Amino acid sequence: MELLGYDFVQRGLLVGVLIAISSALTGVFLILRRLAFLGAGLSHFAFGGIALSILLGVEPFLFTTVLVLLLANGVEFLRRERKIGGDISLAVVFSGGVALAVVLLGISGGFRESLFSYLFGNILIVSSVELYMSIAVFLAVILFLTFYFKSFVLLSFNEDIAKVKGAPVRFLNYLLVSVASLVVMVSIKAVGVLLASSFVVIPSMVGIMLSKSLKGSMLISSLVAVLSTLSGILISLNFDLAPGGSIVMVMILTFLIALVVKKR
Amino acid sequence: MQKEEVVRIENLSFSYGGDYEVLRNVNLSIYKGEFLGIIGPNGAGKTTLLRIILGLVSGYKGSVYLFGKNVSQFREWERVGYVPQRLSVEKLHPVSVRELLSSVVRRESDLEFLIEFLHMEELLDKQFVKLSGGQQQLVLLGIALSSKPELLLLDEPTAGLDIHSQEHIMEILKSLSKEEGKTVVMVSHNLGILFPCADRIVAIDREIKYSASPEDSEKLVASIFGLHGNE
Repeated sequence: MELLGYDFVQRGLLVGVLIAISSALTGVFLILRRLAFLGAGLSHFAFGGIALSILLGVEPFLFTTVLVLLLANGVEFLRRERKIGGDISLAVVFSGGVALAVVLLGISGGFRESLFSYLFGNILIVSSVELYMSIAVFLAVILFLTFYFKSFVLLSFNEDIAKVKGAPVRFLNYLLVSVASLVVMVSIKAVGVLLASSFVVIPSMVGIMLSKSLKGSMLISSLVAVLSTLSGILISLNFDLAPGGSIVMVMILTFLIALVVKKR
Repeated sequence: MQKEEVVRIENLSFSYGGDYEVLRNVNLSIYKGEFLGIIGPNGAGKTTLLRIILGLVSGYKGSVYLFGKNVSQFREWERVGYVPQRLSVEKLHPVSVRELLSSVVRRESDLEFLIEFLHMEELLDKQFVKLSGGQQQLVLLGIALSSKPELLLLDEPTAGLDIHSQEHIMEILKSLSKEEGKTVVMVSHNLGILFPCADRIVAIDREIKYSASPEDSEKLVASIFGLHGNE
């Protein structure tokens, strides 16, 4: 417990809570819009973006965030305007990002360690940029839900009804994938490229399974995400385990419990 | 006295791609306060026609006007209510009836009015996906009516419902049309429930086959589509 007195642990816990809530709230709408795979696609693409940024010598987090934002909106454009299924575009993005990283690794050969640190993340090593980014993303999620909650309720329910009710459906879809991109980028900090999508999928799914209302789902999702993150970090500190893996293992445990509870 | 046009469709043709036209040179006017029934076989373009009127489909030839404005420029969507055919809602969607209705009303008093009008008191705190087909249709009707629209477009609102639910929905639609003067446009295969309520029946099969009173329609339907009154 004395570890909790350390500044880097407190910072990690704070960032973890911010990421957990941002991801859980956004994840509920991603799942209901059948975009659960978006997190996996974007985080794996980010791996390529991070490799590129290291090769170019620019700040990886900000550079890759811009790339991922552009790409997510591109995927949404293809889905809406070209009628190419989101899952197909994301599958291309998913493998494209990893392929880019592998190719760049071969070219440079000199940044393997720094690149691999992004594969699994480490929430206990948080830079100032990452801390501010987590706060900004958290505020963005709260703002977007405050202003557009009613429209997102309708959009997640039925897009045609939302359109006829005058909701700015096109704008809302682009907004959702943009916010999701930011959430995925900060989740990479917490649990790495390979596990980032679990932040936007698992707690949100638990909330959706256990609640009888949308607001209830968002509340349960946030609680599950925060408790999983905090307990995952504490477990990792006490047993000297990787924090990212510990957090996701706790999330999966809550998912299994939810499955049992739901069955009853 | 000149009847007020709520919807005007001029020379409408539409194809989802390729040469096959789902709708071909459709001309139709729908008047204020009218209860219009649209019938036709599967694939006749009924749903497409409704979706074009609602501005949900673009890329058609011809013109569509809603309350005198071209539908592509129309912005007064609170004047229009829509009940779609077969909702594909995520099976685990947790949204409650209260949340759905709250997301479409402007004031709490509007919500109370809807609940009372449609007798939905007991449904409010239930999940939409857990409701029966009839109850779901009632909620969809509530969403459509939330802005107190002048024009109501319904796509097979009674499909798959038991007789009691069908009658309940039709009673509501009839009262909206006859007592409140709303314009109702309803697509249905169920001629038995449509004919007693409608002022006019339009039969389409990619193009308008005829437009007639329900009485005349009954005689025409069998000869054109091989359908029977209670199908």
